[in-house]
Amino acid sequence: MTRSRSVAVALGVVGVVFIIVAALYALGVLQIATSSSSGPHYKHAILFAVLAVASFVAANFARPKPAL
Amino acid sequence: MGLLQGASELFPVSSLGHAVLVPSLLHWSFKQSDPSFVPFLVLLHLGTATALLVLYRQQWVALVRGFFTAAIAGRIRNDSERLAMLLLVGTIPAAILGVFLESRIKSLFASPYVAAGFLIVNGLLMLGFELLRRRTERGASRTEQEAHFASAERISFRAAAIVGACQALAFIPGISRSGVTIGGGLIAGLRHQEAARFSFLLATPVILGAGLVEVPGLLTSGVPIGEYVAAAILSGIAAYASARFLLRYFRSGRLDPYGWYCIAAGLVGLALLHFNP
Repeated sequence: MTRSRSVAVALGVVGVVFIIVAALYALGVLQIATSSSSGPHYKHAILFAVLAVASFVAANFARPKPAL
Repeated sequence: MGLLQGASELFPVSSLGHAVLVPSLLHWSFKQSDPSFVPFLVLLHLGTATALLVLYRQQWVALVRGFFTAAIAGRIRNDSERLAMLLLVGTIPAAILGVFLESRIKSLFASPYVAAGFLIVNGLLMLGFELLRRRTERGASRTEQEAHFASAERISFRAAAIVGACQALAFIPGISRSGVTIGGGLIAGLRHQEAARFSFLLATPVILGAGLVEVPGLLTSGVPIGEYVAAAILSGIAAYASARFLLRYFRSGRLDPYGWYCIAAGLVGLALLHFNP
């Protein structure tokens, strides 16, 4: 993976956005691409929480580090 | 049904295809549109996922530890860390496609005729994977041929993502999740046994996650939990035995017999559905 501070920051921001989306699905505020039009959508919320974790992990990988 | 699902989930023969086709052919009384059918399938899948967790318990401990150490350090230092990240990369495409497309794909294709047709397609895919694989093999004996290929830890991240995305094809009844992921692993240069191991490890979080999110609905649905749990245990036992068998089989075995089986089962299924609807 390319190590770059700007890529790491971008991935971190994407992770924060995913957390917000996960919370909106869990609270039932967001109803985009769901099978029912009301209530919380935990499956979608868990997916976006996992995507958030993956984004933060990727951000940490992209962060420049001192050589071992 | 528990035994059938558990056995066919890990064999590259499509459990969903069999779950749609066999009850229809045998005129079993339950309906797939019945509200209790989804909770039933959920518990069967949890049985399968538990069997895989038990089978690979030591590896999962190492993988979970490897995931956290690599995630915190921001670099990969050993095989467990690399495999943990490969599984994460492989799981994400399947999870995205599963959450957004699964119910739509399943409702489009939930017919025994379609399941039988795609079972034939699945068989052709298995034979195709092996045909492509044979072109890259060298050596006379199977041991020599397999020795030239890699272990699961050495698959590239791009290949892991593609193999993971292929899992979404298994939402079509008749297409096997383990079949397409083992086949994908073979194309990516893994040994047969390692492709099967990667496929089983990749399947575990998807099957477990899909099952766990349905559990709250299961507890409030008023279904006969005792009977369903018994079916889940049978499913787990069958899945464990299947996985042990397949890992031993793929030391030297190939996908071809399963490919021919799927083609035959699909053709027989189509004939029986046509002449004995």
